[in-house]
Amino acid sequence: MIAPDWLREDRLPHIYCTGCGNGSVINCTLAAVEEMGWKRDETAFISGIGCSSRAPGYILTDSLHTTHGRALAFATGVKMAKPDVNVVVFTGDGDLAAIGGNHFIHACRRNVDMTVICMNNQIYGMTGGQGSPTTPTGAFSTTTPYGASEPAFDLAELAVAAGANYVARWTSYHVKELTKAITTGMQTPGLAFIEVRTQCPTNFGRHNKLRSIPDMIEYLRGNAMLRAKYDRLVEEGADIPEGTFTVGELVRRRRPAMGVKQ
Amino acid sequence: MKLVIDESRCKGCNLCVLVCPYGIFQEGTELNTRGVVVPVLDRPERCTNCRLQHLYGRVLCGLCHMICPDQAISWVEEKPFEPHRVEVEF
Ligand SMILES: Cc1ncc(C[n+]2csc(CCOP(=O)(O)OP(=O)(O)O)c2C)c(N)n1
Ligand code: SF4
Ligand code: SF4
Ligand code: SF4
Ligand SMILES: [Mg+2]
Repeated sequence: MIAPDWLREDRLPHIYCTGCGNGSVINCTLAAVEEMGWKRDETAFISGIGCSSRAPGYILTDSLHTTHGRALAFATGVKMAKPDVNVVVFTGDGDLAAIGGNHFIHACRRNVDMTVICMNNQIYGMTGGQGSPTTPTGAFSTTTPYGASEPAFDLAELAVAAGANYVARWTSYHVKELTKAITTGMQTPGLAFIEVRTQCPTNFGRHNKLRSIPDMIEYLRGNAMLRAKYDRLVEEGADIPEGTFTVGELVRRRRPAMGVKQ
Repeated sequence: MKLVIDESRCKGCNLCVLVCPYGIFQEGTELNTRGVVVPVLDRPERCTNCRLQHLYGRVLCGLCHMICPDQAISWVEEKPFEPHRVEVEF
């Protein structure tokens, strides 16, 4: 077990389904926190509502499990009141980009000093598999029974455009790279946004012929493309397979930030 | 060091089977008392971390430990092996 000092062992095993990627993301985050040498009483985990947002409940620090979509608003409040607290937000694609979309862009614009980890399973997991703003075109869900007809949001690109100081994307399969990205995000002053594509075999997989866990992992691994390679292919004008998403660091910069520890 | 799976946590997702470069985790076949098919370990002493953690003073490889979504994999200390004299007969 990673970081036993940070886990509420009495709450384990957690509620996540067999093979859900959220548990791996908790591991990577706690490994990053240990690497940062943060203290438990100087760290707060904040979340909204969703499977992903259950994560702070398994961590032994102060935490806020808030209302759906509002994690970033509460986190901003914590940071403004106590800039010395290290703030980590766990959120889901529905929580962050649907009901909480406005909080997302404005937290990035304000560049509030915190680490936002979005477990993007491309579906509303907790409520039974409705389509979310990141459900890919053509994907099935309970609200898109004929395949989603809308284009999906690219959350990492959205954070870049809105002004976050650090943006990276990985998957819950790339545990080492993800841990490194979270650590770098925590070290960067300003808002660090890390999008993690996670597997949800129960609700995304079940509707999209990816019910088995290895199939879901292959779907993530196979569609992930390093950003450098992606940029090279675009430059060469080569064909990029449908469904490909970039992984790696998307931006690291020094825009003025709010709530930075003195 | 010895590799162990905590059966009270494992949900049998077999992600560890997928990632271990040595194939130490093998899909199990028997249900345990919680109704979970926990993977079985095939010669776990081959694990990089079991062999070398003490030498390097940090976790090596550790992929299974990191990806296990249910925090079920860990290493426990074990007594060092007794040194044996090996005689080879021709
Ligand atoms: C104001 C409000 N609207 C709707 C809901 C119902 N609801 C709970 S979780 C959820 C979606 C969660 O999706 P996501 O953020 O992607 O999390 P996941 O479960 O996929 O990790 C919804 C719509 C709610 N709890 N509160
Ligand atoms: S419904 Fe999906 S996201 Fe929620 S716990 Fe199950 S696998 Fe994970
Ligand atoms: S640490 Fe690496 S080598 Fe050892 S069991 Fe885990 S995945 Fe296999
Ligand atoms: S990864 Fe963890 S929960 Fe999944 S089968 Fe292996 S030990 Fe069990
Ligand atoms: Mg979701």
